[in-house]
Amino acid sequence: MTERNLPGMSFNEALEEQLARAHWTRREFLRRVAAFGAATALTQLLIACGQAGASATAGAPSTGPTPAGSTTAEATATPAPTPVPSPEDKLFVYNWDAYIGEDTVKQFQDKYGIEVTYDNFPDESTQIGKIQSDGKGGGYDIHYPASTWVPSFVSDGLIQKIDHSLIPNLKNLSTAWQSPAYDPGNAYSVPNFWWTTGYAWDPRDISGSLTSWAELWDPTRKNKMSMLDDLRECFAAGAFRLGLSPNTTSTTELDQILQLLEQQKPLLRFYTATDQITDMINEVVEMAHCWSGDWVQMTYDKPRLKYVIPSEGSIRGNDVMVISSGAPHPIAAHLWIDFNLDGDISAASTNYIGYMGPNDAALPKIDDYIKNDPRLNPPQAVLDELIELEYLKPDDLAEYTDRWNALQA
Amino acid sequence: MTTAEAPAELDGVTAPPREAVARRSGSAATSILVLPGVLWLVAFFLVPLAIMAVVSVGSVDPAGHITLANPGLGNYTHALDPEFIPALLRSIWYATATTILSLGIGYPVAYWISRYGGRHKVLLLILVMLPFWTSYLIRTYAWVMILRDNGVLNSLLLDSGLIDEPIPILNTDVSVILGMTYGFLPYAILPLFVSIDRLDFSMVQAARDLYASGRGAFLHVTLPLTMPGIIAAGLLTFIPALGDFVTPSVLGGAQTTTIAKLVQTIFTAGRDWPYGSALGFLLMGVTIVGTLIALRSLRREVIGASA
Repeated sequence: MTERNLPGMSFNEALEEQLARAHWTRREFLRRVAAFGAATALTQLLIACGQAGASATAGAPSTGPTPAGSTTAEATATPAPTPVPSPEDKLFVYNWDAYIGEDTVKQFQDKYGIEVTYDNFPDESTQIGKIQSDGKGGGYDIHYPASTWVPSFVSDGLIQKIDHSLIPNLKNLSTAWQSPAYDPGNAYSVPNFWWTTGYAWDPRDISGSLTSWAELWDPTRKNKMSMLDDLRECFAAGAFRLGLSPNTTSTTELDQILQLLEQQKPLLRFYTATDQITDMINEVVEMAHCWSGDWVQMTYDKPRLKYVIPSEGSIRGNDVMVISSGAPHPIAAHLWIDFNLDGDISAASTNYIGYMGPNDAALPKIDDYIKNDPRLNPPQAVLDELIELEYLKPDDLAEYTDRWNALQA
Repeated sequence: MTTAEAPAELDGVTAPPREAVARRSGSAATSILVLPGVLWLVAFFLVPLAIMAVVSVGSVDPAGHITLANPGLGNYTHALDPEFIPALLRSIWYATATTILSLGIGYPVAYWISRYGGRHKVLLLILVMLPFWTSYLIRTYAWVMILRDNGVLNSLLLDSGLIDEPIPILNTDVSVILGMTYGFLPYAILPLFVSIDRLDFSMVQAARDLYASGRGAFLHVTLPLTMPGIIAAGLLTFIPALGDFVTPSVLGGAQTTTIAKLVQTIFTAGRDWPYGSALGFLLMGVTIVGTLIALRSLRREVIGASA
C-alpha cells in the first residue's frame, strides 16, 4: 500500500495492479458497474418495467403452477437435462445489480433446465414498490428485500411460507442464522448476505486508528465528511454516540439524537446513499459513513482506505430471499433458494461480490482475503454486539421522518 | 401603441379584444380532433391527481396500508409545519435564480438564432434540443465530473496557476443553480425563439425610422412584443425548477436540501403517502396561485395598456 500524492498516479497504479493480478479484472468490472450504476439505472428500470409487464401478463391468468400448455411450448426451446419433481419451466428473479456470483444464473439454468428471467433494480424504493405493486410480488417469484421488511411483508400477505422439505440445503446455515429475530425459524425467508455499518477513511489525510463515532463530528474535518442519506442509519449513529438504542421510539431520545445530528450537519459535505464509494475514491471526502460492502468496493481502487465498526456499537443487517405470495413458479423458486444455499455456489457469490453469507458449508471455499478480514468477517463476539434495525410502525417511523426532514430542511 | 395586435395573435382568433376572446371553437370536427388530447390529460393527469387528492385526506394504518377510515385534513395541518420553511425558501431561491439565468442566457441565443440563423435555423434549433437525446441523469453526473474538487474545472484552474487549492464548487448553491440552469435552458430558448421569430421586424424598423435608438427600439418594441414568449419561458423554467429534486440530489450537498427532496423522503423512506400527497398538493396550490398572479399582472401589462 504505497502513499500517493499525485492524483494522476492512481490510474497508473490501478493499471499495474490489473496487469499484476489477472483475477482483479472481474472486480474492476464490478467496480465499474457500481460507478456507472446510476447511469445505467434508468435503462435497467425500463428493462425491469418491460420484463415485469411481460411476466405479469404471463403470470396473471394463473397464480398456481404454469399450465401444461405453456410447458410444451417452452420444452422445445429448453429441454430439461435433469428432471426434478415437477418444477415449473420458468423463474422470475428480482435482485440488486452485481449482487450474485458471476455464473450462478447460468449454472442454475444448466442444472434444472429452468429458464430464469433475472432482473435488477437500482434502489430500494423501486424494489419495495415492485413487491407491493399488486399485493403479491409484482409478477416475480423471488425477491431480495432487507430482513427488516419481512414482518411487514408477512402481515401484508406479500410473501408465502417456505416449504423446508424442498430446501435440504437449509442445513448449511450456521446456527446463528437458523432462527433470526425478524423471522423465527426462517418460516418465510432465507438469509442471503449480511453487512455491517461503520465509516471509511483515508489514512493519507487522517493518521492513527480511529474507533469512535465521534470522529464523524470532528469540526477540523468540516466539508470533508459524508453521511449516508438514510434516516435510520443516521439516527442509529447518533443513538450509539449517546448510548441509546438505534430502535428507540422515545420522542425525548429522538429529540436528543436530532440535536446531535444538527450539530453535525454544518460539517458535512453531503448525505448520500449512492455516491459514497466514488467520492471516497475521488478524494472528494476523506471520511464516509458507509456499509462494509461499500468499503470493499472502495478498496478495489484505493487499497489504502480503512474501515471500522465503531466501538460504541453499530448496525448489522442482512437481506433475505423470499417467495412472493403470487409467485407463478413456486417450486422453481424453492429450487432457486436451495441452489443458492449450496456451499460452492454461495462461496462463489461471496468471492465475487465481497459480502459474507450465513453459510457454514461455503466457509472453506471463501477467499482468504475476505474470510480473514475482521472488518468483513468480524468474530462472533463483535457480531453479537451489533444491532439490527427493527421494522418501525408507521406512527413511530413518522416521528423519525419528521425529525429527519427538520434536520434536512 | 401597436400592442393591440398581440392579444389577437395570442389567442389565434381574429376578434375584438378582451371579452369576445372566449374559447368558443364550437364545431364538431374540432371536438373530435381535441378528443385524444383531452383523454390523455384525463387519464394521465386528472385521474392521478384525483387519486392523490383522495389519498391526501387518508392516513396510514398500523400495518402500513393507506386507509380512508378517518378522512380529515390532518395531513394538511401537519404539512404547514414551519420546519419546511427553510427548504421551501431555498427551493424558491434556486428556481428564481435558474429562471433569471435561463432567460438572460436564452433570450440572446433565441434572438440570434431567429435573426441571424438564416437557413440554418432548423439545424440550430436541433442543436438546442440535442442534449435531450441523452438521459438527464447522465448529463447531471457529467457535471459532477466537471465540478468536483479534482474534476476538469479545478484541474484547469490549478494547472493555469489561477488558484493554489481546489475551490469547492460541487455540493454548493452554485453547482445546484448551474446544473438547473443547464437543464432547463432549452425549455426557455424554445418559447423565446417562437415569439421572437413571429415578431414582425418591420415594427422595429419603423421605430428606428421614428428616431428610436437601438436600445429604445428594443425596450419599447421588441421586448413588449415578445413578452408572451418571456412569460411562457419563465413559467416553463420556474415551475419544474421549483419541483426538481434530481439536480439538488446529485449536485447538491448537505446544506442544499429542497422541498421536493423532502416530499420524496416522505414517500420513500417515510412510507407515508397521504402526508406526502398533502404536502404535494399544498406546493401545487402555491405554484398555481403564484402562476395565476404572474400571468394576470403580465397580461395586464401586455394587453391592458391598449384597453
